[in-house]
Amino acid sequence: MARQGWRTKRVRKAVAAVVLAVLGRGLVASARLDERVRAEVAGWPDGTVITLRIAPFGPQVSWRVAGGVLEHLGGGVAEGDLLVTFKSVDDAVPLLLGMQGVLAAFAEHRATVRGDLAVAMSLVRCLHIVEGYLFPDVMTRRILPHPAKRRASHITAYVFLLFRTAAVEGAAS
Amino acid sequence: MIPHYYEFCNSAKIVSGAKAIEHIGYELASLGASRPLVLTNTQLRELKVATVVLDALKDTEADVVSIYDDVPVDSSVAVVNDVARVYRETGADAIVAVGGGSVLDTAKGATIVLTHGAEDLMDYRGAESLMGRRAVAFIAIPTTAGTGSEVTSAAVIKDTERHVKMGFTSLSLLPDVAILDPRMTVGLPPRLTASTAMDALTHAVESFSCVQANPLSDCYARSAVDLITEHLPRVMAEPRDEQARLALANAAMLAGAAFSNAMVGIVHAMGHATGGVAGVPHGDAMAILLPHGMAFNLEVAGDRYGELLLGLAGAEVYASTPREERPAAAIEAVRAMMRTLHEQAGLPLTLGEAGVLPEQVPDIARAALNDGAMSMNPRQPTLDELTELLKGAL
Repeated sequence: MARQGWRTKRVRKAVAAVVLAVLGRGLVASARLDERVRAEVAGWPDGTVITLRIAPFGPQVSWRVAGGVLEHLGGGVAEGDLLVTFKSVDDAVPLLLGMQGVLAAFAEHRATVRGDLAVAMSLVRCLHIVEGYLFPDVMTRRILPHPAKRRASHITAYVFLLFRTAAVEGAAS
Repeated sequence: MIPHYYEFCNSAKIVSGAKAIEHIGYELASLGASRPLVLTNTQLRELKVATVVLDALKDTEADVVSIYDDVPVDSSVAVVNDVARVYRETGADAIVAVGGGSVLDTAKGATIVLTHGAEDLMDYRGAESLMGRRAVAFIAIPTTAGTGSEVTSAAVIKDTERHVKMGFTSLSLLPDVAILDPRMTVGLPPRLTASTAMDALTHAVESFSCVQANPLSDCYARSAVDLITEHLPRVMAEPRDEQARLALANAAMLAGAAFSNAMVGIVHAMGHATGGVAGVPHGDAMAILLPHGMAFNLEVAGDRYGELLLGLAGAEVYASTPREERPAAAIEAVRAMMRTLHEQAGLPLTLGEAGVLPEQVPDIARAALNDGAMSMNPRQPTLDELTELLKGAL
């Protein structure tokens, strides 16, 4: 019998969905925690919807800029003004699990971008910062262009990610 | 160097040589087209450069349905839409673009509108996001030896109302045929010849050292460097040397194919920003910034620059230079080429000479950091590093 387990595509998609959900909240948390992410988000046109999607059927995650603040829209919004599409789940998983850098993924044609490339570049810088919070240094040393500089500890970031964004989302709903 | 993963596509047929344009009837017929729209600009018509193509088309079975010669210096959405309108109204079945980067990019934009029925080109910005086969036969005839746009999958089009430059990259933008004929470039003035050749050299050097460099793009980049270093001095000394002009046109094409697949990096990111903020012509910006960008990348791409010393300075210099000194020697070879072109054609050596003001540097640095080309550079700069680098080039 062929080896199944986590190698199956279904499992990889499930893993990707979980990581995208974490990334969705992580980017919002980072925008609250780190002034560098806030500054990047402030440069995005108000109302912009950004989506990371895995072709062809997802999963995906979206954010929207509203009044200069980043909102996590979850996995439901169809298409953003900036749409980053990974060509397959196999192209997305190495990046989502911190095994490959965002820039390396683009260099290897693993994702397409539809929309303003300047916003895409800004998003990449944000993702680098988020990865600095989500992943340990031993991983980020390989995938980030510069050593991660955190404005808060990993633990603070995870507390923010788990509770503060959830609280804000709860209050908003 | 074998990358972990790479892609390469150069599907354009290259038709290169003396009187190559006389084959245009055959090339159109091969594409199943007989009603071309010729796209060019008024200057090229006044200089009789476009006339060479129009005369060649007269002696074919094709009927030129329209000559659109109103393409401005910067491609714009309005012009792209207008070209598409004329194409539809005249029942054209091909675009023959005769010009520099602006004309060729306008043609590429028009093919997007015509293929996708685009009402707003803004909806099609991005990288590798255009899907489907192009609906328009497309022949590109470059009139400069620099941009390489005749074989690239990229286009930049300005939205003059929203004041944004829109970038597009897609294999569907590659022309079907690129015709290189020395008659198109033999009349280029020395200043423009030097500037565009340095643009081509920058494409070759950056594509050879960027993160997408691969064995195929390396071949193209090396050949481009060889042709430029051998034939640019000949063209500067004897501008009407058609053989040398053809070699430079081939160098630009080869460098274009290299960077279309391996991309460019920090020099282009800074150059795009310098053009946008301070209006410095692209080729001039490339020439000024190339050695600075190479110096910035030296610690991560030094070995690659060292390999290019062979093409940049010749076999004797390469062989007599110790391996560890070759990267710096390659940068010095570029600087020496710049100094020569400065003396021969007045090419500016610094951003200050090109009209950049010190107070413009922060805006240039910020724009460069957001430029898509930066993502492919082998070393990612911080905003402060970029600012210092630009100040060093002032």
